[in-house]
Amino acid sequence: MKRRVLVAMSGGVDSSLAAALVAERGDEAVGVTMKLLSRGETGFGCCGSPADVDDAKRVCERLGIAHYVSDMADIFASKVIRPYLDAYLGGTTPNPCVECNRSLKFGHLLALAEAWGCAAVATGHYARVVNGRLLKALDLAKDQSYFLYSLNARALCRAEFPVGGLSKEEVRAKARALGLKTADKTESMETCFVPGRDVRGFIAQSAGADAPGLASGPIRDREGRELGRHTGLASYTVGQRSGLGLHGPEPRFVVRLDPAENAVIVGGADEVWSRGLVAGTLTWAGGAPCGPLRAEVRIRHRHAPSPASIEPLPDKTVKVVFDAPQRAPAPGQAAVFYSGDEVLGGGTILRGEDA
Amino acid sequence: MTSYLDCNATTPIRPEVLDGMLPWLREGYGNPSSVYALGQRARAAVERAREQVAAVLSAADASEILFTSCGTESDALAVAGAAWQAHDESKGRRRKIVTSAIEHEAVLAQAGQLRRRGFEVLEGGCGLDGVVGVAEFASLIDGETAVVSVMHSNNETGVLQPVAEIASAARAAGALIHTDAVQSLGKIRVDAKSLGADLIAVSGHKVNAPKGVGALWVRRGVRLAPLIAGRQEKNRRGGTENVASIVGFGIACELAGRELASASAHALALRRRIEAGVLLVSGARLNGHAERRLPNTSHFSFEGLDGHHLVVALDLEGICVSSGPACTSGASAASHVLTAMGVPPALAAGSLRVSVGWGSTDADVDRLLAAIPKAVEKLRAAAIAA
Repeated sequence: MKRRVLVAMSGGVDSSLAAALVAERGDEAVGVTMKLLSRGETGFGCCGSPADVDDAKRVCERLGIAHYVSDMADIFASKVIRPYLDAYLGGTTPNPCVECNRSLKFGHLLALAEAWGCAAVATGHYARVVNGRLLKALDLAKDQSYFLYSLNARALCRAEFPVGGLSKEEVRAKARALGLKTADKTESMETCFVPGRDVRGFIAQSAGADAPGLASGPIRDREGRELGRHTGLASYTVGQRSGLGLHGPEPRFVVRLDPAENAVIVGGADEVWSRGLVAGTLTWAGGAPCGPLRAEVRIRHRHAPSPASIEPLPDKTVKVVFDAPQRAPAPGQAAVFYSGDEVLGGGTILRGEDA
Repeated sequence: MTSYLDCNATTPIRPEVLDGMLPWLREGYGNPSSVYALGQRARAAVERAREQVAAVLSAADASEILFTSCGTESDALAVAGAAWQAHDESKGRRRKIVTSAIEHEAVLAQAGQLRRRGFEVLEGGCGLDGVVGVAEFASLIDGETAVVSVMHSNNETGVLQPVAEIASAARAAGALIHTDAVQSLGKIRVDAKSLGADLIAVSGHKVNAPKGVGALWVRRGVRLAPLIAGRQEKNRRGGTENVASIVGFGIACELAGRELASASAHALALRRRIEAGVLLVSGARLNGHAERRLPNTSHFSFEGLDGHHLVVALDLEGICVSSGPACTSGASAASHVLTAMGVPPALAAGSLRVSVGWGSTDADVDRLLAAIPKAVEKLRAAAIAA
């Protein structure tokens, strides 16, 4: 039975091949490129920039499948960019890809797909879904399951990651063999809506040059002694060493950001390790657990998941206690809970805990 | 199987048109300007087509028809050519262009270019019914006006515009008056004699001829500064004639003229069915004047959805319609026409244009009317879910 599958196409090689694989197996692939920024803000190679839309269109022409552009700039601004700015202004480190997957690709776009009679939404993510369970990619070096924990059970029933069983080299080779023009396209590693990784510039442009996260303030040690001045909390993340401008005998690291005092708190290398963390805004793939559980917890992309005990708290947060201390869990980033390859769920880190 | 209901975007080529063109793509490849017989035959074919186009517009003489590459070029030549000519002849006194806020991009973009080159561009508005205001135009036109450009019918809403009245005001001020009749040709009568305009733009692919050919009717005695210099078209438009397409356009015009009454009745019958059916959907409304419209065009707004998403939903069912003009599809910016009409942005975003024509059938309408209520319901549910 031929199914209609919406393929979210950014104009990159991974989603191009995802579309090809859906079409190749005999399903009706419908390519859709989300236009995420309004006119005038595009043009720096982000998702839905004119050049990327063109690339996606050329790929679909080559594959003989339909392609549409959907303007989601408004919803992207409210669901992804605004929280991103708020996080920086509030002294945390946002993870916009998690929100984009939750609210755009597997929120708004999934709802549209259902309205368009599509049985599933496929993307070019490196991850796998088996029987409604989210698994790491086979190629662990490319695994993107960390950014997908925010998919709920309903989304996972409709999600497909056709390249999740391939390596990047296999994806490129297959794209080349199919004559897709995106086969050798360079991968974008930056936040798609922040040109040139200039977070400060983006915040200044969006929230104003006098936005709180950009205001200078004190750098203090844990005892409250001022060691220097920082250039605005938005430039710092827990665990960071560079950019502090401190010239003491020992290296100093960001231990904590204090938005109330507009202060960066620093400490020695041993002070950025945490025994645990508290996470909120949780998603559980298989429903919330009724009691404590064991899992491996990943606290940033490419962090090796580390064994921990997870205890659900009454206020819909969880307390995570690692078996061995982990370096620099950053508030705002995701904590994702794994059992082996399987993603059990995850949430947003609210704070690291020493004990 | 496709149900094509977007005839304001383009139209299928009629078999009679294609058959008439093919000899000029095969053995009749001569250049109409050549001396030998092969060229003379091509010249004769072009001149015959000129007569056919002149006839459908009730032009006084075939020499008033000038062939171009498309409707946009016809509009550009009319607006810029008239503006510069009047400007130069008046030694710079005539430096204003008066047009409407609901013109096709072809006119608005050209006027924008001229604004950057020193012309003052004044735009008349329209009412909620989509009809431009004659009194407002009359107040904008004065002795400094070089050219007035107001469309014959609007491409999005199909609303007919009071060109003759505005032409009187233009003539009284000594300004040239152009009308973009690209959407009107073949749907309602476009009569060069009675309209009172100086320039009329039309296009081949809207009347079942191929893309790549248009025409501009230029009232005898009216002079234009050419956009493309060259000897062809009596020094008014350079470039070797697109013989086959011009021949096709001529045939299409002859058919359009001969069949105007029946084509218009056919379109109107389908349009009435479409409107009766679509307006049963809750939260659906018709945009533009209820009566003063092209017989083939319906423009709807649906609350609570993005018209572009509705177009996709219908395409996936094999039905071709549009949410805005074809030229701007893809971006969900509100149409400048609906904005000028004062349609609220949320409603303008949920727009759908259905335009029937030659080849449209009751079966196409049945299919559309079966698909729209379901698609609208699902898209509204999706908008709420997200």
